[in-house]
Amino acid sequence: MKALAARLGYTAAGATVFAAVLVPFFLYGTFTKGFSSLGLHVDEVYSGGPTIRTIQAAGYTIDIHRQVSPHMLQSERPFVQLDWKPVSALPPHVSDVVDIDGDGRPDVLVTFDVPKDAKAVLHVNVEPLNPRYEAMRNVAKPRFSELIVRVDDAVLVRVPVASRR
Amino acid sequence: MANSAQVLETREPRSVGRSLLLTLPMAVWSVLMFSPSFGRANLALVIAMILTAAFMTVLFFMMMRTRRTYRWRRWFFAVLGLLFPVGFIHEVVALRGSMAIPIEEMIAGRTPFCFIPIPLLILPAALTKTLVFPGHILAHAGASGSGMAAMAGIWLAITIVVGKGWCSYACFFGGIEEGVAALPAKPKLKRLDPRWRYGPWAVLLAMVLLSLALFEPAYCMWLCPFKAVSEYVAARNTVGLIQNGIFIFLFAGLVIVLPLLTKKRTQCSFFCPFGAFQSIFNKTSVFDVKIDRTRCTPCVLCEKSCPTLSLTQKSIAKGETLMSCMKCGACVDACPRDAAVWHIRGTDVALKPERARLMFLYAAWAMAVMFGGSVIADGLQTILHVFV
Repeated sequence: MKALAARLGYTAAGATVFAAVLVPFFLYGTFTKGFSSLGLHVDEVYSGGPTIRTIQAAGYTIDIHRQVSPHMLQSERPFVQLDWKPVSALPPHVSDVVDIDGDGRPDVLVTFDVPKDAKAVLHVNVEPLNPRYEAMRNVAKPRFSELIVRVDDAVLVRVPVASRR
Repeated sequence: MANSAQVLETREPRSVGRSLLLTLPMAVWSVLMFSPSFGRANLALVIAMILTAAFMTVLFFMMMRTRRTYRWRRWFFAVLGLLFPVGFIHEVVALRGSMAIPIEEMIAGRTPFCFIPIPLLILPAALTKTLVFPGHILAHAGASGSGMAAMAGIWLAITIVVGKGWCSYACFFGGIEEGVAALPAKPKLKRLDPRWRYGPWAVLLAMVLLSLALFEPAYCMWLCPFKAVSEYVAARNTVGLIQNGIFIFLFAGLVIVLPLLTKKRTQCSFFCPFGAFQSIFNKTSVFDVKIDRTRCTPCVLCEKSCPTLSLTQKSIAKGETLMSCMKCGACVDACPRDAAVWHIRGTDVALKPERARLMFLYAAWAMAVMFGGSVIADGLQTILHVFV
């Protein structure tokens, strides 16, 4: 029994050394692919959720994302992300009425300036035309659920959704 | 008599020729790992790779020649800890001009992902298929490097090979601490309450539950001491300032002051949730460290030398290390009677411990060269860019 245990031990040790040799050539790639095929996704509070509709404006587009609802005790509020892009096609002052839910009626009036300096802090005003959405006054980026930021070639605005009463 | 002869034999240095022969596979491995960069136009990178390959091979040769592990591994680890922040901070500062990660980068999924949040992501991922980290799953532009999948892949692969040995052969954060702990000649603080050993488990449990409840990587947001030398969330408000204050306080206390006073890896021993999580894999690893009770006096030199307090008089009496043992080899080197030995599960403790050591070292050092070596080369390259 002792001899068998020792033989198994050495076999396992040998297999471990062999596995070490396989790591850069096979195991690492296999595990990486395995992980990415699990169907996991990054929390939508960070990613903004998938785009559900695109509105064509004068020379640029507005992507409307699916509403993001925070989980459990997450400190953020529900929000909808809107992407203006490309930045190069945006006028110096943007003022757009956006139909977020696609019912044919305007939901919010979004206004912001687009400074030439890509690193300048942006500020946004959101006028709710539908009580479902909340107002934003000269907001920059205080939290994930209420902000305006420039990411690559898009200006992202996250409009908080009023909590249901 | 036979016993003492055996002791002396195992402590004798190997011949140079035999040591070179044993080092040859690792030298080939080092060349193999770094050779893809040798033909590149970037001279700083080529020099960094050659220096790193030579450094890792020489250390392995010294391990073979002297039959000592910890002394030489510590050099690798301290250099890893020193050069990781150099390479990493240079990269993030070059990319975004600051160590602070702005909210834009988080939304873009460009937050660098290290291995520490892995245990915190498991429950939310299992329950909702959601990764509560503002990174990218696959390779993406910017500081996220190769993405979360790549880090998860390399962690799993290395863990299968070395288990908790990750903390001794791969963790660049641990390298910082071990380098600091190596500085004083003697510890000023010798008595440490053994109950602190439960700290990492408490932090792990609290952070796993908090990460699930708050749906954020709670440890990264609130407690990670290494944010002080890597990247941190740009403070947008008072909460952000408090978070950054906590990072600096914990880094100063657990990674600088306490290791200087105790000569122990105090952050790893008392705080690191990833270390606690990794301890679970000590149970699955085929390699471990045992105390041969037929040789042990016990002088408790092994207990004193252990950087993570993974030996107690009770465990020594049982001939075992605690679950938190990271296989650094400090106790094996410290034992004057060669009672602390490397061991392969299932085999007799007294039987051929050097064979067990060699098998473990080939596996662990191969991982150290591949993962830690690339971090060292990256840091070296950053420095060499100044001159070349």
